[in-house]
Order: sequence, then structure tokens, then C-alpha cells
Amino acid sequence: MGVKKGKADANTLAMLPQCEQLVIKNSIPRYRYGIFDIEKTGKGIQVLNTNLLLTGKDIERHLSGCYGIVLMCATLSGNIDNLIRTAQLQDMSKAIVINSLSSVAIEQVCNKAEKEIYSTLDSSCYKTWRYSPGYGDLPIDIQKEILTILDAPRKIGLCTADSMTLTPIKSVTAIIGLSHTPVAPAKRGCLCCNLRNTCQYRKVGNHCVQ
Amino acid sequence: MFNKLIKEKDFIIFDGAMGTQLQAKGLKTGECPEVLSITHPEIVRDIHKSYIDAGSMVVYSNTFGANSYKLAESGYTVEEVVRASVKVAKEATAGTGALAALDIGPIGQLMEPTGSMSFDQAYEIYKEVILAGADADLIVFETMTDLAELKAGVLAAKENSSKPIVCTMTFEENMRTFTGCSVSSMALTLEGLGVDAMGVNCSLGPVQLRGVVEELTKWTTLPIIVKPNAGLPDPATGKYDLPPEEFATDMVNGIVPLGATILGGCCGTTPEYIKQLSLALKNAKPYKRSTVVPSAVCSPSRTVVINQPRIIGERINPTGKKLFKEALRNNNLDYILTQGIEQINAGAEILDVNVGLPEIDEEQMMIRAIKGLQGVVDVPLQIDSTIPQVLESALRVYSGKPIVNSVNGEEKSLETVLPLVKKYGAAVVGLTLDKDGIPKTAEGRFAIAEKIVKRANALGIKNSDIYIDCLTLTASAEQEGVLETLNALERVKKELGVKTVLGVSNISFGLPNRELVTSTFLTMALQKGLDLPIINPNIDAMTGAVRAYRLLANIDKNSVEFIQAYNNVDTKKPQSEKKEISLNYAIENGLKAEGAQVTEKLLESHSPMDIINDYLIPTLDKAGADFETGKIFLPQLIQSATVAQACFDVIKKKLISEDSAPVSKGKIVLATVKGDVHDIGKNIVKVLLENYGYTVIDLGKDVDYEEVVKATVDNNVKLVGLSALMTTTLKSMEETIALLRKNCDCTVMVGGAVLTPDYAEKIGADYYSKDAKESVDIAKKVLG
Repeated sequence: MGVKKGKADANTLAMLPQCEQLVIKNSIPRYRYGIFDIEKTGKGIQVLNTNLLLTGKDIERHLSGCYGIVLMCATLSGNIDNLIRTAQLQDMSKAIVINSLSSVAIEQVCNKAEKEIYSTLDSSCYKTWRYSPGYGDLPIDIQKEILTILDAPRKIGLCTADSMTLTPIKSVTAIIGLSHTPVAPAKRGCLCCNLRNTCQYRKVGNHCVQ
Repeated sequence: MFNKLIKEKDFIIFDGAMGTQLQAKGLKTGECPEVLSITHPEIVRDIHKSYIDAGSMVVYSNTFGANSYKLAESGYTVEEVVRASVKVAKEATAGTGALAALDIGPIGQLMEPTGSMSFDQAYEIYKEVILAGADADLIVFETMTDLAELKAGVLAAKENSSKPIVCTMTFEENMRTFTGCSVSSMALTLEGLGVDAMGVNCSLGPVQLRGVVEELTKWTTLPIIVKPNAGLPDPATGKYDLPPEEFATDMVNGIVPLGATILGGCCGTTPEYIKQLSLALKNAKPYKRSTVVPSAVCSPSRTVVINQPRIIGERINPTGKKLFKEALRNNNLDYILTQGIEQINAGAEILDVNVGLPEIDEEQMMIRAIKGLQGVVDVPLQIDSTIPQVLESALRVYSGKPIVNSVNGEEKSLETVLPLVKKYGAAVVGLTLDKDGIPKTAEGRFAIAEKIVKRANALGIKNSDIYIDCLTLTASAEQEGVLETLNALERVKKELGVKTVLGVSNISFGLPNRELVTSTFLTMALQKGLDLPIINPNIDAMTGAVRAYRLLANIDKNSVEFIQAYNNVDTKKPQSEKKEISLNYAIENGLKAEGAQVTEKLLESHSPMDIINDYLIPTLDKAGADFETGKIFLPQLIQSATVAQACFDVIKKKLISEDSAPVSKGKIVLATVKGDVHDIGKNIVKVLLENYGYTVIDLGKDVDYEEVVKATVDNNVKLVGLSALMTTTLKSMEETIALLRKNCDCTVMVGGAVLTPDYAEKIGADYYSKDAKESVDIAKKVLG
């Protein structure tokens, strides 16, 4: 919301709980996931029993030492698109707050999904952080294939548009590496983020991820 | 053949899952299953055969995702895959008496406005499938979640084939599809479009789907089809939990007694499930339904039953409204959408939509208005135009069951409008006038109403979908006519058994205290049986009269709605605050109403341009500077801008009422580039630019390159702002800039999360704007 150093005024603070309620009321969080073995080939990392090939140096580094991956996707549903669209006509500042809160909400849905996924895994298994298509040099185009593999259009109503953007708007696809040995880096950082050059948080020395 | 089955059989057994079976035979996860009809037809044929052996009377061809979008990278054309799949299904059914259905699923992309697929694109994609599958015995749409997409499919089927059509949508336990479509909306819309059977498939097991099926039985008289999953899946393994015998028992004990007669299975079901189902059905008796569907209209997510007076909001109509006319001329869709939201907040339950103005392209504007409104409001719409072509275009893209306003007693109108109403399954307003005008007497109007009802009935339009308007005349000019209108209304309702609709605002034209006259007339009409008052819901006395009537007529039980509407409202007008506040103070503190008031006052002593230059802009500049230094956040900046917007509206209104030219510091075209649907950033920029006095031509999101060029050339625009959020759409931005360079002499500024100043320069932009504030600085530099 353009936060740098200042403090929010009373109007903005008053808007937060109200918008939070709207986001909670209108979200219908849904997610899908699948666990796959992977194999390194000359062309990239092949996700076994699928036609998905993960290419690029960054994903290779991210998955180094991993025997398999979790493919996951999540969405807050199109209701949130409607909510943001309508709010923009009624009160743009409210729309900005709702938009920001929805971005937080979809990350929370992913966190919850991760917990569920991990509960099904062997407790000795090590996990990388969630890596999404479009980070670093991993092409964003593979989102369509990931959604197809997870049957996401049919099962949770999550699709890609022609430009490979996800629809509904507040949605995520991600890849989590699974390893028998500790993985590094264990945390997501700025260096692999596409927004690192223009990020408002980073400019003032902050991070968007704890 | 399918309709013969429906007539002759107690139950029709469909097949079970195809995908599950193909995966069992080695299909990779995510691989295109439809291609197997070409590469391994024997596998597909065997699956069909095993279902027929198990008792299936109809099998679905292996064409669920056989559309141009999903097959794009398969190496095969739609025609090849669909023809091969239907051929395999026909080979399997040959000599067995079973039928082969052309199976059609969702295209795989979301429709506008959440996605970018348009109604016309969806129609063309489905048309291609339907033409290629012409050899099938019937057409099935299944697993649909978006009513607009399904409507495109059904129209494509109706207009390119004469085969029976069966539709099933997929509902969650909350009785909604992913896109929010309700069971009643599906039923009203599909029955209106003339499909042959409808129902549900996928998502849940037979036990969990019971509620959905029960709801559906209340909303359609057509045969009901149910194809549930084999229970619920384990999230980790994907295995379904219901064994075949239990599935069959649940179907026969839970679904059949509700009245469903077409039964099969979806995900997780196999020929064994169908075999058990066939066995269990041998001893089952069908339940004969006697459904009477109520008079109702709907959007995808809201159904309005006309079983009590329902308010139709009349404000989306340019007649007599200068600001509205200006919005239409400027293609300002947001103005129309805001009018819609405002009326709903005031109590409207249906919105009339009239965008007719001689100098604009009414058809295109109507399509945009219908699509735009359906993206932000959930009430059903009443499509209001005198031009049949406009009505038809709107009827095509409308998702749900709308009202057509209107047909009248003239032969030409009856001949052109009623067939459209029938084809698209709408309800219709019938005006009691004809070539001789409005009859003076109640008898004359009744006679025309009777004629309209007869003609509509002859086409198969039911009485419950006919709303007669006995027409309000102005009391000051034709006082004796007032009671004629009301008497005609009473007779029409009682003797013809149809619903009644009436625009009441005209009654008080030319009289003082119009509100009193109009609301009294409204109450008189309600007492005579008016079902659909067309009013200005923003006038509290009007909405209040309807609410009070519902209370007094014992419709609003225990006064629940009335109390909800008025409990927290102080009906006495608040004393206006005596405290003087400045425009600066109002803008800085987000006080919209106060800002507008102060502006009105200032206009008495200042010129509009002075107010903008001396008050609005300096205050916004200060807010912008505070934002830059981190003293305030984006929401605060926008709050200030919203107040400034209210001040601008006051100025604009005054100028328009004086027929003066609007104030503008120059025109700017804004667009979110082709392929990108993330437009909130662009919209924030728009708000700020407008408040600095610039005229923004907002082209919206996912905008074609050519459209940006056209708007820039047509309006002689010197500054174009483009936004893109995704790395994948930066290419579109580059293409748009290249095309602008070729065709216009303009400055281009760009912005968006993934853009950098370097990249902006690389793709040929003149300016990189890091935020909304900076876009204003750029506009100042370029346009002054």
C-alpha cells in the first residue's frame, strides 16, 4: 500500500478491519497439489509421469539435491475479482486495501496448504520454499501445464489466460522441492525476485517475506 | 432418438468416467486424453463398449477437452480429434441400441471479466466442435461452471445443429459453481434456451449432491440428469471412497426419489459402478414430478422471484439527463456502472438498462453496458431498447434470464421482438399501445394486452414470463386517465393471469411536490396488484412506499426487511454542521460530502478553473509530496483524490447545466495492454490524473494494440499511458508502443510492477512512471 516509514492515518486504520472482513467473506479458498518424482536431464528437470520440463538455472539451483517436488496451486476464487472490481467503482482507496489484503490472504492459503501437504510426507523429508513460475529464469508459461496436471481448471476453477497470467487474479502456482538431505537456501530472498529492482520495501531496507 | 428414450424409458443410464479409465491404461498425468481416439482408438472403443455392456444407454465421446484451446499443442486439429472420437463412439454403440453423445467440457479459460475469453470467442470455439461432431446422436455439455460459457455453447449447438442438448453443471456443497452460479439460475436460463435435459455432474458423491438435485427439482420441468463422483477423493492419493454397490444404493435411495431419471457417474466411477447402478435401477420406480416453476428472472448468482412487488431501477437511461448523455458520448462506462451500484444500494432488485442515444453506436454500447454491469452487480437486468438488433445482441451476451423491454401491440413489434424473447428464453414487458397510440380507456389497453399475451403464448412464451405495462399518463395533462391505467392493470392481472409492470415517475410531471404524487400513485398501483414498479430507487419515498406496502400487505413477515432497512436510519435530516471547513481540510481528511459542499459554495465566487488551480491541485500536490516522502500511504493519497473527484463532479455538473465546455487540461489515453487483466494500477493512475483536470480516455484492460492507436488518433491525444503487470505482457506493451510510433505523434508513459526505467527505455517508451504520483508529474510536463 505504499508503506515506507510513515504511520497510517485513522481513516486507513479504520478501513483495515472492514476490508479484512470483506476479503474473508468473499474468499472461497481452494487448492490442489500433487507429489512427483523428478529427474535431471540434459534439457532441464523432467517431472516424471508428466510432460512437464522445468528449465533454467534458477530452478535447477532451487531443486539441487531434491528427489521430487510438490506441484501446488491455490486461488481465492473469482468472487475476489468481483469484489475488487466493484470496490474500484465505489471507493478506490478501499479497493487498494482490499487488493493488498487479498494478496496476503492467498499467501496464507498457500501456507495452510503447505502444512496439509507436509502432514502427508515422511517427517524426515526436507522441503524448499515455494518457488513460482516467473521467478528468476523459470518460464511463466509452464503455469498452464502445471494447472493441467493438477486438473485445476476443472477441480478448483483456476485457469491461465493467453498471456499465462492466472485467473482468478488472486491465485498462485508453486513448486516445492523435496529432499532427503537439508536444502539451501531454505528461505526465499530478494535475489531471485523479479521485482528486486523496483521494490519499494527493498529500497528502504525492508523485506516482504519474514 | 434421445427424446424417444426419454418418452419410453423409466430411467436412462448414461456412462461413467472416461479419464479415470484412460489413466488406468497408461495415460500420463496432464496428457491430452482426446488424442488417444486417433493414436489408440481400440482403447477408447473398449471403454465405451464396457460401459454399454454394463448397461449404459448413452456413452460420451472422448471429446471432453477437444477444443482449439486445449488441443493447441497436440499436433492435431479439432476436426480430426472430434471426428475420430465420435467415430469410435459410434462404432461402439453400433447395433447395441445405445447412443453416442458428443461430449463437450469447459474450454479451459475463464470468461470476461475475470478472464479474457469473450462470449464470441467461446461461441466460435464451441461451434467448431459441434460442426466436427455432427455424426453424434446428441450433444452433451458437462462439468460447466460458468453460465455465460455454457450459454455460448448452447447457442452454438442450437444454431449449428438440430441434435438434442443435455447440460450438466458442477456444483459445490455451497450449492454454487466456482463462478457463483446458483441452481435456480442454471435452470431458468437453460430451460429458457430450450435444452432437452439438465442436471449436475462431478464435484461430489451422490449423498452430498442430494441438496443440489432437490433444489433443481423446484426450478425445472425438464428431465433431470445426475452424474456424481464415486464419493469424495483422498486429497493426497486422489482415490475415491465410495464402492460401486454403495454408489448404486445411494443413487437409487437418495437421488431417484427426488425425480431424477437420467443417471450415470463421473470421476472415479467405472463400468462396475454402472453395472451396479443398472442392477439397482431394475427394481426402482421413477418419481413423477409436478413442478410448477415460479415467475422469475435471474443473473448467474441471483434469482428474483416475482411473487411480490420487486423494484426495477430506472436510472440507467439517458432521457432528460445531461451527465448521462455526456457519459455515453465519451464511452464512460464507469459512470453507468456506478449508477447501477448506487441503485442497488438504495434497494433496486432489477435494473433497467437503456443506453439509446442517436449519435452513438447503441448496439456496441449496450453490449459493453451489459457485460460491465454483470461484472459488478448481481441483480437481473432489463434490456431496454427500441431496436431489435440491440435487443438481440444484448440477449446473446447476457448471462442468466433477463427481461426484454419491450414489445407492444403493433404487428411489427410483435413479429420482431417476441421471437427473440422465445429464442433467448427471456421474460418480456408488453406495452399496451399500438399503431394508434395509447388507448384512452382501460378496455382499450386490456384488449392490446390480451393480444400480446395470445401472440406470446402462440410462440410458447408462458404467462409467467409476460409482464404487461398499462402505461402511466401524466396527471397534470390527463387527469381522467390515471384511474384508467390502474383499472386496466387490475383487469390484466386478474383476467389474463400475467404479471404487471409500470413506470410511475411520469405521473407527477409538471406538478409541484412530485415525490408526494408519485409515491401515492405507486401505492395505489401496488394495491391494484402491480408486481414490478419501475422507479428511481434513490428517492427514499419511492423505495419506502414499496417496502411499507410489503410490510402492510403481510408479505414482509414480521417486518424483517423493513426494520433492516430503516432501523439505523435517522429519518430526520441531520442538521448541517455549522463549523466552516476549508477545501484543503476536506481533501486532506477524506471528507467527500463536505468537499462537494465547499466546492458548491466556492463556485459562487470563483471560476471553475480557479478552483482547480488554486485549491484542488495545490492540495493534491501536497498529498502527492507527502506520499513520496512516506508520510502518507497510497490509500490516503487516493482518499484525497476521491474527495477531489467529488469536487470535480460538482464543477462538471455546473458547467453542463450552463452548457459550458467542460474544463480539461488535455486528453490522455490509458490502457492495460493486450493479454493483461491486472488493471488496478492503471485505475489508480486514472483517478489521480482526472483530479488534476485531465480528461482520461480509459480503454480498460486486455486492450488490442490497434484500439490504443485508434483512440489516440481519433481523439488527437498527445499522451498515452500503458500498464502491464506481468513479464509476459511486456511484449504486448512493446508492440503497442511500436504501433503507436508508426501511426501517431504522441508521448508514451509506461508503468507496472515488473517494469524498470531501463526496460521502459528499451521498449521505446518516453517515460517510466514508478507510481500514480509520478504519472501526474509526467502529464504536467507533457501537457502542462
